[in-house]
Amino acid sequence: MSMLLEVSGVSVSFDGFKAINNLSFNIGSSELRAIIGPNGAGKTTFMDIVTGKTRPDEGRVIWGEKSVSLLKMSEAQIAQSGVGRKFQKPTVFEDQTVQENLLVSLKNPRGWLSVLTYRPTAEDLGRVDALAEEIGLNDQLTRLAGELSHGQKQWLEIGMLLAQEPRLLLVDEPAAGMTVTERQHTTDILVEAAKTRAVVVVEHDMEFVRRLNCKVTVLHEGSVLAEGSLDHVTANQDVIDVYLGR
Amino acid sequence: MQRSFIARNPSVLIFLALLALFTLVVTVLSEGAGAGFISTSFIKTLGKTLCLCLIAVAMDLIWGFAGILSLGHFAFFGLGGYMIGMWLMYERTRLIVVESLSQTELPPTDAEVIDAIGTQIFGVVGSSDFPLIWAFADSLVLQLALVVLVPGVLALIFGWLAFRSRVTGVYLSILTQAMTLALALYLFQNDSGLRGNNGLSGLQNLPGVTASQDIVSLWFLWASAFALGAGYFLAAWVVSGKFGSVIRGIRDNEARVRFLGYSVEAYKLALFTLTACLAAIAGALYYPQAGIINPAEIAPIASIYLAVWVAIGGRGRLYGAVIGAAFVSLLSTWFTGGQAPDLPLGSYTVKWVDWWLVLLGVSFVLVTLFAPKGIGGLFDLIPTKKGAEE
Repeated sequence: MSMLLEVSGVSVSFDGFKAINNLSFNIGSSELRAIIGPNGAGKTTFMDIVTGKTRPDEGRVIWGEKSVSLLKMSEAQIAQSGVGRKFQKPTVFEDQTVQENLLVSLKNPRGWLSVLTYRPTAEDLGRVDALAEEIGLNDQLTRLAGELSHGQKQWLEIGMLLAQEPRLLLVDEPAAGMTVTERQHTTDILVEAAKTRAVVVVEHDMEFVRRLNCKVTVLHEGSVLAEGSLDHVTANQDVIDVYLGR
Repeated sequence: MQRSFIARNPSVLIFLALLALFTLVVTVLSEGAGAGFISTSFIKTLGKTLCLCLIAVAMDLIWGFAGILSLGHFAFFGLGGYMIGMWLMYERTRLIVVESLSQTELPPTDAEVIDAIGTQIFGVVGSSDFPLIWAFADSLVLQLALVVLVPGVLALIFGWLAFRSRVTGVYLSILTQAMTLALALYLFQNDSGLRGNNGLSGLQNLPGVTASQDIVSLWFLWASAFALGAGYFLAAWVVSGKFGSVIRGIRDNEARVRFLGYSVEAYKLALFTLTACLAAIAGALYYPQAGIINPAEIAPIASIYLAVWVAIGGRGRLYGAVIGAAFVSLLSTWFTGGQAPDLPLGSYTVKWVDWWLVLLGVSFVLVTLFAPKGIGGLFDLIPTKKGAEE
C-alpha cells in the first residue's frame, strides 16, 4: 500500500527539551490509526509538525502521491492540500449557526476575492445537510454553535473537518468529556470517515481506542515505542513499563 | 437560490431610508434652502458627523467583525483629508494669484504664477518651493485618486508587515498607535511638505465656486450622506456572506480558520486596507467641512475615541457603530462647545468643557460593564424585528 503521509527522522526541541526525538510514522490512504502515550510523549507536537504549526529541527514530512514536503508550506496551504485537524478543545465559531460553520468549511476556493463573491449553491446546501445528517446535527442547522452541548460541538468540529474533504484527518482526544453514548456516536463517525480517508486519533482513553479497533502507535518521549494491534502493544513489556504499568 | 441581499438584511434598507429622510429634513430646514431653522454651521456639524459615522463603520468592520483593534484609523482619515486639502488649497491660491497678477501690465509667465502660489502656501514655513509630494496638486482627478491610494498603500504596507509577523491583540493595537503617532509627529515638522503644525486651511472654500457657504454646506452634507449610505451598504454586503463568516471566525478563533485552509493574513490585510480606504474617503469629505486640517487631528487619542464610539454604539453591528459615532460626537460637540449649562454644586461648579471627558470615560466603563453590546444592543430587545436608527 502506498503511503499518504511519511514522517521520517523528525526531531524538535523546545528550549533544550526534546519533544520529538527521531520520530518516524507512516500512514496509508484509507486507514484508521490511534496514537496513545503518556502526557508529554509528543502527541500534540506531532500534530503541530504535520499541520505546519511547528517546524521540526530535522527530518522529513512527505505527503501524497507526488511526495511533496509539508515542511515548506504554511498551515493554510497544508490544510488546503488535504490535512484536517481537530483540536482537543472543541473549536467551532460559536456566534455562527451550525449551517454557517459547515458552509465556511466546505471545500471551495479559499482566496478572499472568491469568498467575497461566493453565495451558497443548492449543491453546497445539500452537502451541508448531508454532513449534518452524518454528525447527527441535522435538526440543529439554524442554531448557534455556541448553544450546542459539548459533545455536539465536538461533532460539529468533526463535521467541519469532513466538509473540507481532507485526505488525512488528525483528531486530538475527540472523546474527552463525552458521555458513553456520545462516545459510541463519535466512534461511529470516525470509523465511517476512515473508510475513505486516513484518520489519526490521539487518545488517552484505552476503552475508546479499543472500540476503534485499529492499529495503534505508542509514543514515548518523542519517539515510537511500539506499533501494532491494541492487544499486541499492550502485551509489549516496554509499553507496560512506561505507560500501562503506572 | 437564496433570497436577495436586501431581503436577508432588512436593517440595511431601514438604515438607508432613515439616512435619506434625515438628509431631506435637514436640507429643507437649512438656511441654504431659505427656511433657516438650522444654521449653516450646524449643517456642517451634521455633515461632519456623517463622515465620522462612516469611519465608525470602517472601525466596526475591522474591530467589531474581524476583532482587530486598530487604534490608528484616524491616520488614514487624516491622510484622506490632506490629499483633498492639497488640491483645494493649491487651486484656490492659484485663482487668487492669477487674479492679482492679471492687474500687472505684462501677463505673468507660468513660472511666475507657480512661484507666487508657492510663496503664498509655504510662506508660513519659510519656504516657497513646492515639495515633491505636491506634484499632482494641480489635478483634482489625481488628488482624488490619491485620497484612496495613499492611505490604501500605507495600510497595505503596514498591514503586510504586522499581519505577516502574526502580531495580534493588544500588540497590534500598540503598533497602530505608534503608526499614527509617528505620522502625526512627521507632519508636525515644517519640512514635511504639508505646512507643519499650520496644516492646510481655507478648505471650506471650493475653488471657482461662487455659491455661498449656505449652499456649499448642503452639497457636502449630501455627499457625506451618500458616502455613508454607500459605505454602509458595502460593509453590510461584505459581512453578509462567507467573507463575513471567515472574518468573524478570525475574531473568535484564528487558529481554526487557519487550519480550515484560509490564509488568515490575506483576509486581515484585505479588510485592513479596505477599511483604511473607507476611513480616507470619510476624511476627504470631513475636512472641507471643517475648513482646516493639521497634524493634531491624527494624534493617537483620535483613534482611541473612535474605538470608544464604536464600543458605546455596539460592536459587530454596523448600525451600532453609526449610532455610537453620531451620538457621542454630537454630544461631545454640545458639551465642549460651551452650550451645556454648568452644573452648580454649591462650593464647586461643574464646567462641562472640563468634565465632559470624565463623563465620557465613565459612560465607557459603564457600557463595557453593564451593556457590552452597546446602545445598538437595545434593538435586540425588540422582539423578532431588528431596526436601524440614524
